[in-house]
Amino acid sequence: MKYNIELIKNKKKIIGFSIVLILLSILGILYSTFNTSYKKPINLGMDFVGGNELRIERVCEAECSNLSPDSVLENLREISKNKKVLNNLKLQFQDNYKLISIRTPYLSIEESNNLISNLDNIVGPLNYESKDSRLIGPKLGKRLLTNCVTSLLVSLFAISLYITIRFDKKYALFALLALFHDLLIVFGIFSWLGIIFSVEVNSLFAVSLLTIAGYSVNDTVVIFDRIRENFKSKNEGYNEIIQLSVNESFRRTTFTSITTLIPLLSIILFGSYSLFWFSLALSLGIIVGSYSSILLAPSLLLKD
Amino acid sequence: MKRRQGWLFFIVFLLTLSFYLLINYPLQLGLDLQGGSQLTLQIIKEEGKVTRDELEAVNSVIDKRVNNLGVSESNLQTLGGDQLILELPGEQNPLVASRVLGKTALLEFRTQKEGTSSDLKTLQQQRLIIKELIEQYSSGEKIQYDDNLLKVIQDDLKEIVQELNYSSTSNDLYGKLIEIKKYVDKEITNLFIKTDLSGKDLINAGRRQEQTNSNWEVLLTFSNSGGEKFAEITKSIAGTNQLLAIILDGESISEASVGNQFAQTGITGGSATISGNFSAENARELEVQLKGGSLPLPIEIVETNTIGALLGSKNIFKSLYAAISGLIFVGIFMIFNYRILGFVSVLSLVLYGFFNLALYSLIPVTLTLPGISGLILSIGMAVDANILIFERIREELYDGNTLTRSIDSGFQRANSSIVDGHITTLLSCFVLFLLGTNFVKGFAATLGIGVLISLFTSLNCSKTILRFFTTYQSLRQKNLYLPRNNFSN
Repeated sequence: MKYNIELIKNKKKIIGFSIVLILLSILGILYSTFNTSYKKPINLGMDFVGGNELRIERVCEAECSNLSPDSVLENLREISKNKKVLNNLKLQFQDNYKLISIRTPYLSIEESNNLISNLDNIVGPLNYESKDSRLIGPKLGKRLLTNCVTSLLVSLFAISLYITIRFDKKYALFALLALFHDLLIVFGIFSWLGIIFSVEVNSLFAVSLLTIAGYSVNDTVVIFDRIRENFKSKNEGYNEIIQLSVNESFRRTTFTSITTLIPLLSIILFGSYSLFWFSLALSLGIIVGSYSSILLAPSLLLKD
Repeated sequence: MKRRQGWLFFIVFLLTLSFYLLINYPLQLGLDLQGGSQLTLQIIKEEGKVTRDELEAVNSVIDKRVNNLGVSESNLQTLGGDQLILELPGEQNPLVASRVLGKTALLEFRTQKEGTSSDLKTLQQQRLIIKELIEQYSSGEKIQYDDNLLKVIQDDLKEIVQELNYSSTSNDLYGKLIEIKKYVDKEITNLFIKTDLSGKDLINAGRRQEQTNSNWEVLLTFSNSGGEKFAEITKSIAGTNQLLAIILDGESISEASVGNQFAQTGITGGSATISGNFSAENARELEVQLKGGSLPLPIEIVETNTIGALLGSKNIFKSLYAAISGLIFVGIFMIFNYRILGFVSVLSLVLYGFFNLALYSLIPVTLTLPGISGLILSIGMAVDANILIFERIREELYDGNTLTRSIDSGFQRANSSIVDGHITTLLSCFVLFLLGTNFVKGFAATLGIGVLISLFTSLNCSKTILRFFTTYQSLRQKNLYLPRNNFSN
């Protein structure tokens, strides 16, 4: 099976497509920054802004009784004292009214315990063994955010440095362009997810961006290596050699993406809910990354 | 060929060693897998950085307090230069720990300024009212107030209390009450003069139930010099109107007079009791705090994670499902596409899995959810190296080279791409590990270890296994190495 991707013919289409994706991402980021309630380029989750997240299951006989979140809130309001928290409390039922998930601003452990025992009175009994509670102070959130941004910048810098030393300037430049293209698009997708579905990003999102960075560069490096090798060994036109190299490494790049996507998909399907968005971000990054390594980065190398 | 056989024995040896390690040193599970609580304590310093000595000092005080609390199997470690992480496995309530650890527990003994008796009385009454208001608020009752209360409250407080009553839906009600209480506490403390006796002069603390009622009191035992100081101080105010205040973190927890009979010698014996209406729990907490000494710098609890034991075991099963199904599907994909070569990569993947786990138990790496996801993700990356090599072998075979030659040059030519690719991922892991939080570190560690091991398994183990296979004549047919639809090419 030989592949025949007409890179030279489709150069404009490929670059145009990427530009559209990038513009859409920037639009999402700008929209999120200026127009929605977040006022941030992306919907920052409680890891970065602090808060309290609680998930706990009810103990039910066969099926859990239906409850409306509003009536539970009403009851909570009656017996609770901390009005400030109750005004900003989000409550959801999942899994056939079995699982209760609650978000509030930051609470002390004491306040959180009170909230849970009040909840127990209203919708209980609750299964404390199934509790998942996270309390993050706003100060720590800010710190985590700076921490994540620094890690991203430092590691991007390190990767850029490595690529520049390892490859010619031109290759390095395009590998890095492809890398920033991938990161920007994944970021943009999550900006849109935040705007439309209120999906939040947490510190694991930053981790996924970093992993995508390593992965995307890896993919591009393999193709560029191939191009370099073919320049040495084959005697054909500049553009033809690039197209040939892309076709030669096509199988490898798609296969690698597939073997990485398979485990990620199994985390999405079977894994813990806390890894869901993380795996999704990684999967998106790997798809966009393969696209940019196979099509975009080599197209940029082509001469007119 | 001799050398390859040596490698084969080496691999079998490593595998046996891995089994040995895994059986004798079981994997350590993080709290998100076994259930428990984790508290992050932040050291607060207004100016400058927290020095190493200060961190040590805070660490040792917290450590003492944790030990005195009697929580089992707790684990305290420092994070970065100014944070501490306390892990409490199992179903232990983090509430008590947070209350005991969060306080600075700076104990002071102060004597009252002369001629401030009436001021103190007013303030003490105000304090009583504020405390009652806070209690009412906490128990959810509507705040009661009558004009008699206002009479004893100074003008600046009157305004606030009125506001409390008339707009009780106000968000900051509780905050205001706490503010007022702090204000009153400070005013009271200001009526007393510092002495040179403090928490540092204690050698022990204890508690006991008061004889007359169900309240508890806390017993203080002074060192020799502390006892002398205490006698000196009590002597100086014995029989006067001046009171002795015991002040904890800027809040007076006890004000007592010293009787005339102590005017000659002061209170000797080197001990004192604080009886300030303690409940059994409060008395125990104060005892633990005083035994551990005061913190050199205040701390704040900035993060608390609690995971129920049931959820933890669910997380283990979910992760196992994900890991195993991921492995199986990757295996099917590889065998389908690369046939014998695919089978080789599956074998080296299995080796990869065992080596990884064995290293986790050796180092040791505590397995957490992000850690497991790092491991699962690194499966894909480990296969990547194999795919690179196999594609090269395939090309060589298409070019009409012999099997042995194709295998050799396949491994050789894929080398540089593999190393390059792995280095960029390792760079990311390294940065994540250095700068990341605890949570992130787990991911970086497992992914990084995975990438390193995959260099060994995909380059060396695959090659050895493949060489071993090709020693069998029946496994040396070229078409076993190429997809069926392809070998007519």
